[in-house]
Amino acid sequence: MIHPDQYDVIVVGAGHAGCEAARAASLMGLDTCLITIHLETIAQMSCNPAIGGLAKGHLVREIDALGGLMGFLADETGIQFRLLNRSRGGAVQAPRAQSDKALYRLTMKKRLEQIPRLTLFQGIVAEILTKNHKAVGVMTLEGNRILGKSVIITPGTFLNGLIHIGLYSYAAGRANEPAALELSKSLRALGLDTFRLKTGTPMRLHSQTIDWSRFTPQPGDESPVPFSFRTKKRLENKVICYIGHTNSQTHDIIRNNLDASPLYSGKIMGIGIRYCPSIEDKVVKFPHHRRHQFFLEPEGLETEEIYVNGLSSSLPLEVQRDILSSIPGLDKAKILRPAYGIEYDAVLPTQLKPTLETIKINSLYLAGQVNGTSGYEEAAAQGLVAGINAALKVKKKKPFILGRDKAYIGVLIDDLITKGVEEPYRLFTSRAEHRIYLRIDNADKRLTRYGYELGLIAQEDYDSFLNKQKKISRTMVILEKEKIKTQAGDKISLKDYLKKPDVRFKNVLEYTQFDTSLTEEDIRHIESEVKYEGYLKRQEIEIARIKKMDRERIPESIDFQDIPGLTREVKEKLGKRRPRTIEEAKKIPGVTPAAIVNLHVYMKIQNRKNVSRGTSTDT
Amino acid sequence: MVEDTIIAISTPLGFGGLGIVRLSGDKSLSIAKKMFRPKKLKVRIQPRRPLFGHLYNFEEKQAFEEAYLTYFPKPHTYTREDIIEISSHGSPLILEEIVRLGIKAGARHAHPGEFTLRAFLNGRIDILQAEAVNDLIQASSLKQAQISYHQLEGSLSKKIIDLRKKIIHLLSQIEASLEFPDEGLQISQKHILKTLNSSSQSIQQLIDSYELGKTLNEGLSLAIAGRSNVGKSTLFNALLQTERAIVTPYPGTTRDYLQELLKIKNSLFTLIDMAGLSTRSHPVEKEGIKRGQKIAAGADGVLLLLDLSRKETREDFRLLDEYRNKKLLLLFNKTDLPRKMNSAVIRKKFQGFPSLEISALKGTNLGKLRDMIHRHFVPKQDHQEEVILHLRQKLLLEGLLTCLEEARRLLEQGYSEDLAAEELRKIYPLIGQLTGEIRVDEVIEDIFSRFCVGK
Repeated sequence: MIHPDQYDVIVVGAGHAGCEAARAASLMGLDTCLITIHLETIAQMSCNPAIGGLAKGHLVREIDALGGLMGFLADETGIQFRLLNRSRGGAVQAPRAQSDKALYRLTMKKRLEQIPRLTLFQGIVAEILTKNHKAVGVMTLEGNRILGKSVIITPGTFLNGLIHIGLYSYAAGRANEPAALELSKSLRALGLDTFRLKTGTPMRLHSQTIDWSRFTPQPGDESPVPFSFRTKKRLENKVICYIGHTNSQTHDIIRNNLDASPLYSGKIMGIGIRYCPSIEDKVVKFPHHRRHQFFLEPEGLETEEIYVNGLSSSLPLEVQRDILSSIPGLDKAKILRPAYGIEYDAVLPTQLKPTLETIKINSLYLAGQVNGTSGYEEAAAQGLVAGINAALKVKKKKPFILGRDKAYIGVLIDDLITKGVEEPYRLFTSRAEHRIYLRIDNADKRLTRYGYELGLIAQEDYDSFLNKQKKISRTMVILEKEKIKTQAGDKISLKDYLKKPDVRFKNVLEYTQFDTSLTEEDIRHIESEVKYEGYLKRQEIEIARIKKMDRERIPESIDFQDIPGLTREVKEKLGKRRPRTIEEAKKIPGVTPAAIVNLHVYMKIQNRKNVSRGTSTDT
Repeated sequence: MVEDTIIAISTPLGFGGLGIVRLSGDKSLSIAKKMFRPKKLKVRIQPRRPLFGHLYNFEEKQAFEEAYLTYFPKPHTYTREDIIEISSHGSPLILEEIVRLGIKAGARHAHPGEFTLRAFLNGRIDILQAEAVNDLIQASSLKQAQISYHQLEGSLSKKIIDLRKKIIHLLSQIEASLEFPDEGLQISQKHILKTLNSSSQSIQQLIDSYELGKTLNEGLSLAIAGRSNVGKSTLFNALLQTERAIVTPYPGTTRDYLQELLKIKNSLFTLIDMAGLSTRSHPVEKEGIKRGQKIAAGADGVLLLLDLSRKETREDFRLLDEYRNKKLLLLFNKTDLPRKMNSAVIRKKFQGFPSLEISALKGTNLGKLRDMIHRHFVPKQDHQEEVILHLRQKLLLEGLLTCLEEARRLLEQGYSEDLAAEELRKIYPLIGQLTGEIRVDEVIEDIFSRFCVGK
């Protein structure tokens, strides 16, 4: 018998979720083993060579504020940086960067290799070992048993992955990498419900075969904004991306070849990703659009590969070539890697706790695409939360859960576990109720204290965070104290002046001197805090009101059947679960917000009746 | 879920020759069987087929009245429960006896509107329809009954659902412009403002229709004003004698004024007669007059009475001035007596007010007066049938409008779209109280169905 290794935490899969999970658990002082099918492709970006964007950039900032690595690495290996929505309010601004893919994965591997308590191991996990509904380890295809106190599964598209190019398909997790076929069965054998999802990736082209003069350049920002609060170096743009468009000829080619598309011939059963549609999807769903936009993005500095963002497809290679030949500038482009679609298994995330532990099997955690999400950032965020909670559980400490009012990470996980997923889930800022509070500029203020307490933020980084906060509150005091005269002759504070829509911090500087060490990052934060002040206060009151309502106890004597305006279904659910507080009632699936309002109003009316009855008997 | 079976008389009391008692609930049929005997003993009760027979007092073991019984099995009924309808002679005594027996046999007396409540709770109708049914039951003017009927048909619901769609589209426009700054969506602020204005207009139209709804629901209040002895009470009685609608005594605290419902064509009015507006009166009466004046000031319209048989006085002019900002009809009364008033002077001075010469005592021109009241006071309605009938709905719509207006203000003053979006997001839960709540996923779905985004 092979002598088994023994760890505190085992992480299966070294993608963006797995890397954050393994790193967090090991930095929290636990012996951790990260198992991957292929050590060369740790933290590989399977799809586009970019990190961030709206909501996703927010996630990366939060990961960073909690002590995760994605943001810092994106800065380290970024080759073009842009802050999106610069002209809009701070709440909808987010960083996005083009990454050097190879450098990102190599740097992540190196970083992980340097963590003393973390062991990397190459192997294909075939089975999750359990004992009394508790995960106790994993077994690889060749029968190696690796034991652990908790197990985190982050297989991404490798979980029973099936690649489609035209009507040809083969089992794989990524082009030419083996899929994890047995693991999916093991999850089902443990009683977890799985379903099938589909995503895809576009072709990669040789940059020297592209006529670049036919496309519109999209350069990076003049003064790049980093993801990480810890990035000190000045970021540099090293590449330019280009924008191009398809045309009616392209669309005709696609329409004429739909029968060769696995998606439209009925071959692919998985539910496609609406948030990241293939070019054939776009052409079919928007027949009146005369053209579709795409971006040409370099995959790195040491390669000629160009990623064609927007032309994701699972059409056969010949059709992909025809598509390119219809686009001036790409007509001679050589395909280095064909576009493909991929189907994979995911686990219904409603079977998870807010810690990402499965409800059925103790100490088994799931993170990333296996929970039905798409995107590197969504995966990394879940990985971090799973890693932290797996570690806390081993340490017998209280779980770490972020609410919807605290972080996008909270919104993401709450959406997954309460609403479930029908198609690959992508985060949007509009999913957050408290969008103006959940900003990139205050991610550290919201989360860094937790990261520090968890042991993921170094002392010196925490000190510099505290210094920043002091500097900012000093500035705020000055803004409130200093008064200026407006053209209309009113005296207003600099703060009120800054609230005006067209006034920026640099205009305020015309009136008074500030701490010269204020960085651009600090200034963006100050502007947001001032400009959103009224809204933030209102939202704070709203959050407090909800919290108070959540705590309200539902009288045990209540008969849910008596509450008007509730559907039979809701009444039955309430009657069966008998929640003790409003918060508990909210968590019952199928109990709508409107039903909660009804319940609450009913409680109030009953309460009033009881009170008035009380007084009438007294008198 | 076991709901008890309810029973109630479902036709208005004291009307018509026929009355209906209705049962709803699981035990409807078994209860009905106890108190009904078919004429032909062998005939069985069949769904939706009226069955002739006798009502049977099971306490005294005696049949007492002829009746028809109809059984409507669930779920295709108004309440989605088993329903029994018993039609019999409309005498309140008989109907009440049926209800009493039904209760003895195990039913419970329905609360007001409980049938509708059950229909609503069992998902048969939506909340707007539920409110409409309530109006239908209590409709006191024909036009209102008609509107209630339309609302029951769901036309208001449809309007609100359309509005909801419009608002989702607005939200999806603004959210898409924020979420996808990179994808070449041409969503300009101008575009957003256009959608915003069109949504505001739809809401404003619904709000405006509330006034009409209110009129139909409560009746317009018309105050008869004029100095003492000008013939106010005579006119009050004359109008009511011919067209008295429903006698509804409103007990006032004192006899400051009288108030009765008056029906002209299909519209309801509340006619208010203020007893003697004389300035030189008893202190107690003065207090009453003050109160009367307040009521006249709050009325929707004023019928100002002048006495043709006396010379115009300062008091007449004072009253004319007092009410000149109201919707006013000038009525020159007492054409049956020799005229002393120079009515031309008054007409000239108060041009633009419709006027009419009448004799309340002799009934001269009262028909014309009724037409004039109808023409002058009933709000002109455009062809829309949907009318907001409830204050609750109006207030909610006003809440929606405030959000839209605030969003517009922010955009116009140069604030970023995200702040405008913040205002619009308040609509999500708000609209839930009118129709279905808006879920974020619906907005996101709308974005992806309208805009080709996602790379």
